[in-house]
Amino acid sequence: MAGRYTLYFGPQHPGAPGNVGFRLEMEGERVVRAELIPGFLHRGFEKMMENRKWENSYVLSYRFCVEDPDPFEVAYAEALDMVFKVDPPPKAKYFRMIQAEFSRIASHMFWTHFMLGSVGLRTPAYWALAAREEILKWFAWVTGHRIYHNFSVPGGIRSDVPQDFQSRTLDLTYRVEDLVKDVEKAVLGNRVFKRRTRGVGVIKGETALRLGATGPVVRGGGLAYDVRKLAPYERYDSVNFEVPVGEVGDAYDRALVRFREVHESLKIIRQAAMEVRPGGPYRVKIPLTAPPGRGYARVESARGEYTVHVTSVGGRSPYRVRFKSPSMPLLTTVLDYIIKNEEVTIADFPVVLASLDPCAPDIDR
Amino acid sequence: MVLSTIAEAVKYLFKRPYTRLVPAKTGPFKTDRMRGAHILDMSKCTGCSMCQQVCPANAIDMVEVPGQYPQNPRRRFPRIDLHRCTFCALCVEYCPFDALYMTSVTGFELYTRDKSTTLKSPVELSRGDYTLVTVKRDLYVTKEVKASG
Repeated sequence: MAGRYTLYFGPQHPGAPGNVGFRLEMEGERVVRAELIPGFLHRGFEKMMENRKWENSYVLSYRFCVEDPDPFEVAYAEALDMVFKVDPPPKAKYFRMIQAEFSRIASHMFWTHFMLGSVGLRTPAYWALAAREEILKWFAWVTGHRIYHNFSVPGGIRSDVPQDFQSRTLDLTYRVEDLVKDVEKAVLGNRVFKRRTRGVGVIKGETALRLGATGPVVRGGGLAYDVRKLAPYERYDSVNFEVPVGEVGDAYDRALVRFREVHESLKIIRQAAMEVRPGGPYRVKIPLTAPPGRGYARVESARGEYTVHVTSVGGRSPYRVRFKSPSMPLLTTVLDYIIKNEEVTIADFPVVLASLDPCAPDIDR
Repeated sequence: MVLSTIAEAVKYLFKRPYTRLVPAKTGPFKTDRMRGAHILDMSKCTGCSMCQQVCPANAIDMVEVPGQYPQNPRRRFPRIDLHRCTFCALCVEYCPFDALYMTSVTGFELYTRDKSTTLKSPVELSRGDYTLVTVKRDLYVTKEVKASG
């Protein structure tokens, strides 16, 4: 098809990253402009939380990202710890780390499925989902639910860990590692995958950071920006791990960084699991009414830096809850930059979108 | 090389299938802490409405039930809409009289196309299978330490 025309892409499209749409300005096969059409999943989470009490607002704090809910849960719990001026027991902090890292791995494995779907390499995608499934089973065993765990609460964690927690958690890390290695070998060494992703969606780390992006998009571009290292929360300062970075900043580098991050997360989980034993305190009781003040937390989610700001004026409910999520810049400023600076065809467009890994409900909330 | 993918795929070709045929071959996946449909102990509930207050999804309302309940003179018990419920177990955690439990009945076992059947009256809630109880209040409220701040 020649000439200039407009093409609507999503929200019902297998290549769209969730329920967001795009209005694409096309010139033949080339995408010259992409305008994001968000709002299909808007539910007003911030206001819903302000209309609920302290003890039940946290149930909503993570329900806007199916793929990676736990960093959001941990961040809100941390912000409320600051509002209530409580210091959770060390066991709770280590558990929150394990929870967030398993969530990161599960999210990256889910991303592998989307990414491989967009390049047409379906077989290893299902092995990645098997790794995610193992993690979800672990979550169901410890917390009672597979996706939304509701386990990190203000003041600590909700209940004690099961008796054989350490052995089962360590065992799971080795099983997941085996599956991830298979996927990695099958994907990163594949010639078709390399040709579809090398030199596609190039953005340097500094540029991405300037455009508001964080997470694997920045790290893939060669900048070691990670909140877990720069401003350690929970007990990230007491574990050893590396921040993997890419070189070129293309879709292949972002894939590489995500796979390496999975191995680093497994390293963190193995170290943190040694500090979480059954018995002993795990939760500090918080009062029903909060003192006036502010709570602020920033965590590194699978998609980048996520910030929560809670304002309390006393009383039974938060006065203001504000989230700053990592997904919005990915589909606006970063996508604009990529489309303006290289020739993105309609065939490459889903690959670029998937390599950025945005979370559509997180954009709308 | 594409061969690396093919080599890995051949390995998986000789492995057992990861997926299970539920419920024809195996039962649904359950754990000891699974949060599912509620059970109400009507001999313990005093009708204090704490569960209704704490429910983030507004899935609980208090209704009057005919009969004699010495601990609950107003005869008000929770009625739960499982269609709205998020199964967060806050009602179980905050019940001061340990009258609500959760069972492992969840997922497709609760699936229905008739949404009017998801509204469970107190009497229906009390008829649940006690052998399937997974979550009780004591899972959440023990071992708390006093606030340091």
